[in-house]
Amino acid sequence: MTRNTQNAKREFLRESTVMKIHYVTGLAALFTVAVHVMMRLIMPFSMSLEYENVVANYQNILYALLLESILVLISIHGFNGLRVMLLELRQGKIWEKFVILSTLAAMLVVIGYGTRTIIIVNGLNL
Amino acid sequence: MVREKAFSAQNSQNRANREGLKGWLNPTRYGWERLSYWLMRLTGLFLLVYFVGHVYETSNLVGGVNAWNSMLELTQTTWGHIFLILVIGTSTFHSINGIRLIFAETARGLGKPGRPDYPYEAVSLNNIQRSGIWVALILAAAAMLYGSSVLFGGE
Repeated sequence: MTRNTQNAKREFLRESTVMKIHYVTGLAALFTVAVHVMMRLIMPFSMSLEYENVVANYQNILYALLLESILVLISIHGFNGLRVMLLELRQGKIWEKFVILSTLAAMLVVIGYGTRTIIIVNGLNL
Repeated sequence: MVREKAFSAQNSQNRANREGLKGWLNPTRYGWERLSYWLMRLTGLFLLVYFVGHVYETSNLVGGVNAWNSMLELTQTTWGHIFLILVIGTSTFHSINGIRLIFAETARGLGKPGRPDYPYEAVSLNNIQRSGIWVALILAAAAMLYGSSVLFGGE
């Protein structure tokens, strides 16, 4: 019993907490993506994709924040979903560690790359 | 020592029970919930691939107007539109079915537990839960129709 309690303390995030994060990010992504899609539909679709219009969207700080939220929310939700699927297929300590680290790394790369686009197009030139 | 041996025996049994991808793809035993299970994972994988591609695609903005337009030429085709319609359908299904799963996870709409009598139908797999799968499929089809009208209707 003591051993189990110690092991539980060593865990960084409990699986139930991770799944709560998964559901919350999923629901939040649903609302943010809905706004993102609506922004494409308030004018003719092809016109909304014109370079000047898209850049103007990115340079609006509120819209840039919305894009960043979508990027973070979907990356967390998507790569955690991938982690769950891969752990369903196979179990084992090494495999688990490999899956967690690779999905975490992929998530950070995607967030970093997307954030770079938002920052540069927004004109912040960091 | 005895406990470790028991753990080891349990582990070997667990290993023998592993079905891996074969278990994942087995269409029998689980009914409509299996269809929902498959579609949830397949749409999730598809949407993740699309999302990564979309992040890369939009990074062309950094290259200026020419880079953006040449990327748009690749996507603004009939096949590009069909792909986008699939994205609309899969994201709608994934969202609605995901909400159904959140309800199931929080035990809403599952029914009261009862004594297992013949023919042993689980109360948790009831019509309320199943209708969620159908609603998700119907709304996905409706969203795809609307997406087609926007993309091919020249709005």
